[in-house]
Amino acid sequence: MTPPEAAPPPEPYFIDGPAGPLFAIYHPPSTAVADGGDLIYVPPFAEELNRTRRMAALQVRALAKAGVGALIVDLYGTGDSGGDFRDARWETWLGDIAAAAGWLDSRGRRRIGLWGLRVGALLAATAAADDPKRYNRVILWQPAISGERALTQFLRVRVAAGMGAGNDGETTKDLRARFADGAGDSLEVAGYEVPPQLAAAIDGARIGPLGSALGMPVDWFEVVSESGRPPAPASRKVWEEWRNGGVPLTTATVVGEPFWNTQEIAVAPALIEATSALFGPAEP
Amino acid sequence: MQVIDDVIAILSEVLQLGNRASQFDASTPLFGHIPEFDSMAVVSVVTALEEQFGFTVDDEEITAEVFETVGKLSEFVETKLAS
Repeated sequence: MTPPEAAPPPEPYFIDGPAGPLFAIYHPPSTAVADGGDLIYVPPFAEELNRTRRMAALQVRALAKAGVGALIVDLYGTGDSGGDFRDARWETWLGDIAAAAGWLDSRGRRRIGLWGLRVGALLAATAAADDPKRYNRVILWQPAISGERALTQFLRVRVAAGMGAGNDGETTKDLRARFADGAGDSLEVAGYEVPPQLAAAIDGARIGPLGSALGMPVDWFEVVSESGRPPAPASRKVWEEWRNGGVPLTTATVVGEPFWNTQEIAVAPALIEATSALFGPAEP
Repeated sequence: MQVIDDVIAILSEVLQLGNRASQFDASTPLFGHIPEFDSMAVVSVVTALEEQFGFTVDDEEITAEVFETVGKLSEFVETKLAS
């Protein structure tokens, strides 16, 4: 049964990205409520992307009901877009986001915001800082504060894989040295062929310094395990810096499971509600 | 006491153990004993500990010993918090 307020069906497209075709699905907003503009979703890195598909899908549906369209793009080298993972580059991904914004613009959709999760939030903030006039808002879900820390967490999969095999020798430092050895070879980590250029770019990315270039409203969401628990110290430090620097930052802490880091698919309904509430009152 | 409760809560959440975690105490064996506790789980648990407690874990510290039991893991967290 289709409720009357259901949003129009999703529309798949290929968008021309800087390095090749990008597979994208546009989820148009419901026409039953005021048009709230669009968001481009910037997904997290590697395995976290797979774990969080469900949350992204649920949020997209809730946004459509709230009158907000969503463009879900597979970044170059991922999903059904062109290229292999070893062809992926941070700069290409930034270009992919710009291409997605251009695509919305060409359809007359001019109120464009970015919404990113974890490393995707770091990427979204970078894209917004690069072209602040293009985007009217940025929504950050549990952003990676430091790309270096995020990359370490990812590389550890390979380190930990050696643990049971009695091989406690390989470290993330060794893996970084292999990225930097100049041979330019990708390293396979958890089934992903990670190119050294991408690893280096993620390693160098920090969210803190982007603040001064973000002139648009920023909504930063942190998920905590229980009510009253403070968000991560590293996040609070950036909040303070940004507030002192005049960044129009709104922060919120919601209770939920760490769905980007759980072994099985998890969801955080409070995060979806809080995010949709940015676009007007929740539906009765 | 507080740390071990937090550690059990994180294990329960990340590994989605549900009610099983309520039976956990310091002697509960982890790595190699709980089916969910594979190398991917080790990484997820370390990530969650880092985010929750705000410390950084070095690669050298990620050993099978640290993840042997709930008690060993809690001791490790206490050491990190004290340093």
